[in-house]
Amino acid sequence: MSKKIKQIAIYGKGGIGKSTTTSNISAALSTLGYKVMQFGCDPKSDSTNTLRNGQYIPTVLDTIRTKSNVNAHDVVFKGFNGIYCVEAGGPAPGVGCAGRGITTAVQLFKQQHVFEELDIDFVIFDVLGDVVCGGFAVPIREGIAEHVFTVSSSDFMAIYAANNLFAGIKKYSNNGGALLGGVIANSINKPYAKDIVDDFVKQTKTQIVEYVPRSVTVTQSELQGKTTIEAAPDSAQAAVYLNLAKRIASHEVSKSPEPLTVEQLRNWAAQWADHLLALETGSIEGTHSNI
Amino acid sequence: MVTETIKQKINLNVADCETREQRLGTIISWTGKASELSTLSNKARCGAGGRRDCALCEVKVPFTQGSVCSEQMVECQAGNVRNAVLVQHSPIGCAAGQSMYNSIYRNGLAIRGLPVENLLITCTNLNESDMIFGAIYKLHQTIQDVYDRHKPEAIFVATSCATAIIADDIESAASEYQEKLGIPVIPLYCEGFRSKHWSTGFDATQHGILRQIVRKNPAKKQDDLINVINLWGSDVFTPMFAELGLRVNYVVDLATVEQLAQLSEAAATVGFCYTLSTYMAAALEQEFGIPEIKAPQPYGFAGTDAWLREIGRVTNREEKVEAYIKKEYEAIAPRLKELREKLKGVKGYVATGSAYSHGLISVLRELGIAVNGSLVFHHDPVYDSGDPREDSLKHLIENYGDVPSFHVSNRQQYQFYGLLKKVKPDFILIRHNGLAPLASRLGIPAAPLGDEHIAIGYKGIINLGEAILDVLAHKKFHEDLSQHVTLPYTAWWLEQDDPYVLAKHPELIDD
Repeated sequence: MSKKIKQIAIYGKGGIGKSTTTSNISAALSTLGYKVMQFGCDPKSDSTNTLRNGQYIPTVLDTIRTKSNVNAHDVVFKGFNGIYCVEAGGPAPGVGCAGRGITTAVQLFKQQHVFEELDIDFVIFDVLGDVVCGGFAVPIREGIAEHVFTVSSSDFMAIYAANNLFAGIKKYSNNGGALLGGVIANSINKPYAKDIVDDFVKQTKTQIVEYVPRSVTVTQSELQGKTTIEAAPDSAQAAVYLNLAKRIASHEVSKSPEPLTVEQLRNWAAQWADHLLALETGSIEGTHSNI
Repeated sequence: MVTETIKQKINLNVADCETREQRLGTIISWTGKASELSTLSNKARCGAGGRRDCALCEVKVPFTQGSVCSEQMVECQAGNVRNAVLVQHSPIGCAAGQSMYNSIYRNGLAIRGLPVENLLITCTNLNESDMIFGAIYKLHQTIQDVYDRHKPEAIFVATSCATAIIADDIESAASEYQEKLGIPVIPLYCEGFRSKHWSTGFDATQHGILRQIVRKNPAKKQDDLINVINLWGSDVFTPMFAELGLRVNYVVDLATVEQLAQLSEAAATVGFCYTLSTYMAAALEQEFGIPEIKAPQPYGFAGTDAWLREIGRVTNREEKVEAYIKKEYEAIAPRLKELREKLKGVKGYVATGSAYSHGLISVLRELGIAVNGSLVFHHDPVYDSGDPREDSLKHLIENYGDVPSFHVSNRQQYQFYGLLKKVKPDFILIRHNGLAPLASRLGIPAAPLGDEHIAIGYKGIINLGEAILDVLAHKKFHEDLSQHVTLPYTAWWLEQDDPYVLAKHPELIDD
C-alpha cells in the first residue's frame, strides 16, 4: 500500500499573501525532509514562482488547450529543494470559466494517479481568493483536500472572505469534504490586529495556526524570486514559517467551523469599529493600545 | 512506492472516467487509405495500451456539421437499463433525445421478447436561477421523487454541460441518496464538451456500473456465463453460445440491474464492436479477473473463426467450438454460393461507427462485394486492453485487403457528399441514419442497420447478403428520386474533388 498523502488547500482573499505563505510552507516542509507538491489554482499562475527563482511554468490548462491527450507528468516541474510545482492556469481575465479550469486540472491529476506515483507526502493547493462558485469549491470537496487553512489579516474584507470559505466548508462537511484546520493570521504586527483575528476564530469555533508578522525579509526574498526559507533561512521570519510548517505537518484533526451569518458578521465588525475608534481617541485604553 | 492500483490503466477509484482522446488518442477527422491509418495508429501506440503519448494527428476541419454528445450515449445506455431510472441533471434541451431513445428501447424489448415498457428518464429541467444559485437541491428532490414513483433498483445521475460548468456536487448528492435509499445512486460524468467524441459517453456509463453495480466480491462464479456487451440487437448470441454450452449475459442495454451486477461472475466477456465494449471488457478483466476475449471481431470467416477459437480456449470448450464451426460452414455454404453469384460486380460503402465498419467491410468482401470506400465517425488507434489481437483495422487489411478511400468524419454531411461521389457505390450500409437521406438524393439506397447484430458470425454473412439484396431492389426508386431533387450545396462545392479541402485550405472560408 502507498502511504497516506496529506492533502491541504490554502484559501484566502486575493492579495492577502496566500502564495507567499503557501510557498514558504512548501519550502519549509521540504527542508524538514518531506516530499511536497504545490498546486497553484489561480489563472494568474504565479503561485510557485518563488519556488523557481521567479520563473513561470507551463500550466496544465494551456497544455490541455494545445494537446488532446496530456500526460500529467509533463506539467510537473521541480522547484526549490525538489518541490514539485504545478500551475493549473486558466482563462485570460474576463473570459471563460476559471472554476471549470480548476475542476479539469485537478481531475487530470486524480485520474492519472500522479500524487501516488510521485510518492509525495504533501499536496498543497493554493486556491485563488474566495469560494465564489462551484468550481472554486472543488479542492475542498470529497477526495481532494482533507485540511483547509485560510490566510487572513485583521482587515475586515479578508475576514469576510474567510467567513465565506467557512460557509463553503460547512456545506460540504457532511459529505466527506475537507474540514478546517485553522487560520494563518498574516501581517499581524499591531496588537489590536491579533485581538481581532483571535476574536474571529473564537466566534467561528476554529483556531489560529500561526501568527505571521509583516516583514521586509519576505519582500527582499520575493524580489530575488525566492521564498524566505530559501533566501534568508536563518532569519526570524524563516523561523516563523518553519514553525508554521511543523504545525501543519503535525496537524491531524480538522473540524467544521461555525461561520457567522451576514448580520452577525456586520454586527461583529461594527463592535470592533467602535472599539478601535475608542482606542484611537483615548476614551478607552486597551491592554494592547498600540494603534 | 507505486502500488498495484496505480499501475492499472483504468482508474475506478475516481468517479469520472478519462475521455477517449486522453486514454486512447482518439481522432474524429482523417483522410487516406485504411492501410496508412493502420500504420500511423501502430506508430502512435507507445507504452502499454498506447496510453497518453499517442500522437495520431488528425485533419483539423473548420466546423462540425452534425454530431451527438456523450450525454446522449448515457441516455441510450444507462437509460435503457430495466428497473433503473436515469436522472439527467441538465436543462430540458439535453433531454430532447428521450422520445427517440424510447422508441429504440421499446423496439429492442419487443425484438428480444421482453415486456415492452417506456424507458424511465427524468430531467431536472434547470433554469436561469438554478444556474446562478446552484441546483443540487433540485437533484435531491428529483432523486427522491423518482425513487418514490418507480421504486427502481438503481438510479443513474447524468451530468450535463450546464452542471459541469457550475460544478454542482453530484457525487456527494449521489452518495447521500445511495445511503438514504439503500440502492446504488450512480453519478455519470458525461458533459458533452469534455470529449470530442460521443463514445466517451459509453465509457462514462460503464465506469459508473463497474464502480457501483457490479458485485465486488461475488460469492459464486458462473462458469457457463458469458458477458456480451451490446446495444439492443436481436438475440443471435443465445443460440450460438447454447451450442457451446454457454449462457449469455447481455449488457448494458435492456439488462436488469441484477444482470449488470453479475458481470463479475462470468467466464469471459465479448462484444459486438470494440468501440462499445473496450472500456468495460478491459475493466472487468483488470478489476475482477474476467477474461476479455482478445481476438478479431466476429465478422466474416476469418474473424469469426479466430474469435470462436479464443472463446473455446478461454472457456475450455475447444472441441465444441470446432464442431460448431464445421456445422456452420456447411450450413451456410449453399446460400453463400448463391448470394456471391447474385452480388457479383456490386459495389458497397460502409458509413458506421469505427470498429463496426471494420467488421462490416469484412463481411461484404466475403460476399464478393467490392468496398472501395468507408466513412467512420471516429478512430481509436488502440483499444483499452492494448492487445494487438483486437486491432480490428489491421485484421481487415491483412485478411481482406486495403480500403483505398478511408475517411474519419464525424457525421459531416458536406464531406459525405464528396466521398460518395468519388466511390459511386451501389448501396451504403449505415448506422446513425442522419446520413442516409443524402445518399438517397444521390440515387444510392441505404441499409440502415438498426439491428446491430445482423452481420455477426457465419449466419451474419448470409443475413447481410439478404439485406443487401433487399436494398438493391430499391435502387430504381432512388435513381428516380435523384432525378427530382436538388442538393443544398453551391455549384462550387459540388465541383470539389476533395471533401477535406476546407481543412487543408481554411483560407477558402474567408474568401
